Amino acid sequence: MPTTTPQPPGSGPTRRQLLTALGIGVPLALAGCASSGTPTTAAPSVEPIESGPVELSVFWWGADVRAQLTHQVLQLYTQKHPNVTFKETWQANSGYIDKLNTNLAAGSAADIFQLDDNMLGGVAARNQTLDLTNYVAAKRLDTTKLTTSLVNYGKVNGKLAALALAENTPGMVYSKTKVQQYGVEEPAIGWSWDKLISWATDFSAKTNYKVYGTMDPSADYKALWVWLRQQGKDFYNGTKIAFTADDLTKWFTLWKNARDAKAAPPADVIHVANAGDVTKQLVVTGQAATSFMWSNQMPDLAKATKDKLGVVSYPGDPKGQWARAALYFAGYAKTKHPGVVVDVINFFVNDPDAGKILGTERGLPANKDILSTVEASLTDANMKATVDFENTIRPKFGPAPVVPPDGQSAIRTLLTTEAEKVQFGQMGPADAANEFLQQAALKLTT
Amino acid sequence: MATTQATARRLPDRDQPRIPPRRTGSGAVRRRETAAGYIFLTPWLIGFAAITAVPMLYSLYLSFTNWDLISNAGQYVGFRNYVRMFTIDPTFWHSVRVTVTYAVVATPLKLALALGVALLLVRARRGASTARALFYLPSLLGSSVALALVWQSLFSRSGVVNEFLDWFGIHGKAWVNDPSYVLWTVVLLGAWQFGAPMVIFIAGLKQIPAELYEAASVDGAGAWRKFVSITLPGLSPVIFFNLVLETIHSFQIFTSAYIIGGGQGGPVDATLVYTLNLYLQGFGQSHIGYASALAWVFLFVIGALTVLIFSTGRFWVHYGDGSDR
Repeated sequence: MPTTTPQPPGSGPTRRQLLTALGIGVPLALAGCASSGTPTTAAPSVEPIESGPVELSVFWWGADVRAQLTHQVLQLYTQKHPNVTFKETWQANSGYIDKLNTNLAAGSAADIFQLDDNMLGGVAARNQTLDLTNYVAAKRLDTTKLTTSLVNYGKVNGKLAALALAENTPGMVYSKTKVQQYGVEEPAIGWSWDKLISWATDFSAKTNYKVYGTMDPSADYKALWVWLRQQGKDFYNGTKIAFTADDLTKWFTLWKNARDAKAAPPADVIHVANAGDVTKQLVVTGQAATSFMWSNQMPDLAKATKDKLGVVSYPGDPKGQWARAALYFAGYAKTKHPGVVVDVINFFVNDPDAGKILGTERGLPANKDILSTVEASLTDANMKATVDFENTIRPKFGPAPVVPPDGQSAIRTLLTTEAEKVQFGQMGPADAANEFLQQAALKLTT
Repeated sequence: MATTQATARRLPDRDQPRIPPRRTGSGAVRRRETAAGYIFLTPWLIGFAAITAVPMLYSLYLSFTNWDLISNAGQYVGFRNYVRMFTIDPTFWHSVRVTVTYAVVATPLKLALALGVALLLVRARRGASTARALFYLPSLLGSSVALALVWQSLFSRSGVVNEFLDWFGIHGKAWVNDPSYVLWTVVLLGAWQFGAPMVIFIAGLKQIPAELYEAASVDGAGAWRKFVSITLPGLSPVIFFNLVLETIHSFQIFTSAYIIGGGQGGPVDATLVYTLNLYLQGFGQSHIGYASALAWVFLFVIGALTVLIFSTGRFWVHYGDGSDR
């Protein structure tokens, strides 16, 4: 008896024949699908500004307000340069980098896109941004009115990969209302971390542990970064972690002691704020008196709560802080109109009318002249307070750090996970610090 | 000749040896019919090849590269992804632990609930069909994002569940923010969707002949004895079917873990299930090659598990027609 299923003659290919055909045909098809061509590197030379009709696509993240303002600026550019029109795409921050990465992978990214310092390292390392260095040298992109360190914070591998549109710096936001209500001292610039924690311990006791003194920022990479810089150390050294397990253990222990002393709330309360959402920060939900944010987020936080808010620098020496680019505009390396792209970016950063329209919505204007004009016309008290704070602290900044490398978002998540392990008591600070460094090395090398 | 002898002493029809009837021109007709069959199949074949088969094989190829989604091509790295998965990457084993914990608890719980409620609703009492529909509703909506968001809010520190517990003086914890409890909220969400297996159990229960129960009553069997010796064996094919399906589904869980865990696998990776780890590696960190390797290992493990369940089926599944596998 035959072992295969008997087939009546002439009934078409057998299963075996079909599988053989697929087995040969599919690899052939795959070989044909193999990648074709090498990426065109951004032309190092400076392209002229075209005079023919040009349509540029622009992609950014933000809410409605930002979309309206950006649209107005783009309209203004079209008025001054009628041959250039724009196709605008925007969305919320959540999922933005995924969408951008997908577009970059497909080769269809927008000509101009917005980035922040968490995304810049990764995107620039893959040569997806237009190299702006020569355009600055040729004076097509004017960076003379920007703080040098702010411009340098857009450089990756020696090339200017993106230009800062706005500036901010780490800012500890606290509730003035609660401070007055419980009659305690207001936080000030230059308080040490220990002073903050002892102030917070007293605060929590005064409120009978209904409101805790401070948020625990041990899971927040920017708090750790400031703390390291204050000791003359740094977070990254090129593409590697620049601090040791000892440093991180000290950081985790500092906050473990704060939690034990009840200066900071318990782990499950901290966890909700760790996600970074503005409306879930403890200073907004009223569960703590301070939150560790970026300075220009204070007005947004104030909108989400009835309390009056104030902003100071993070505890410790202000030299740990720096002029951070709140966000950048970058050009797409494969854009067909690099000359016009650079001109539009220049317009956003340097044109006084554009600056007036954009105001402080994205952060403090990078161009110092525009900053003074905008400052003079501010009406929102919270915005004024933020600008005052930045002006007070700007002279005390330390030098700008290097832009975080590719893999930064994975490192941020890793720090949150390890810090939460300590917060929930699953691991001691030293073990969590060692685990962090081991896994961080893995994530940065692949 | 054989045919003449056969006609001389004709056997009853059902005892005739099985010879396919021969028709004139059958070769050409059958070839045409077969060809027509394949032609009608081509839309599906094209879809299967283009959307399922070719991408699957491409991902197998990718699992041997280090492609990062943006560069034009990945470099061939051999088995490095597989080695990394099993020996170097601790999140892999962690996600396996989380997924197995979930599957081992949620599947029996879901099936037990399904069977229990099915036993209650199998008789056509007043309101039984409405009850069945209501219980079935969660499994229609269950794996949706909206429901997971609602579930997350229900079990949060100030959510409805804690308010409910407050009535009894029980101080509830922050269920979804505490790594010791968050996975169990996900398990509950999975088990809550027992409506689909329940409906299948009801159908299976209705097929068990009533005479068996009557005979057992006559012999003096109690309710438990009837359940163990009649209901369970009679239901075993349905239990088998539901077990295979629910096991596979519970290993594949993604949406509820993703949402309740806040998109990153929950406080301290407590909800980092296998598929979520795969997604974060592939699309969060752009390690598409590694994620493809994870996907193929996943396929083999679930396949092996299914084969395991099938092979044990020999011992406990009784098909009513007497032909036990």
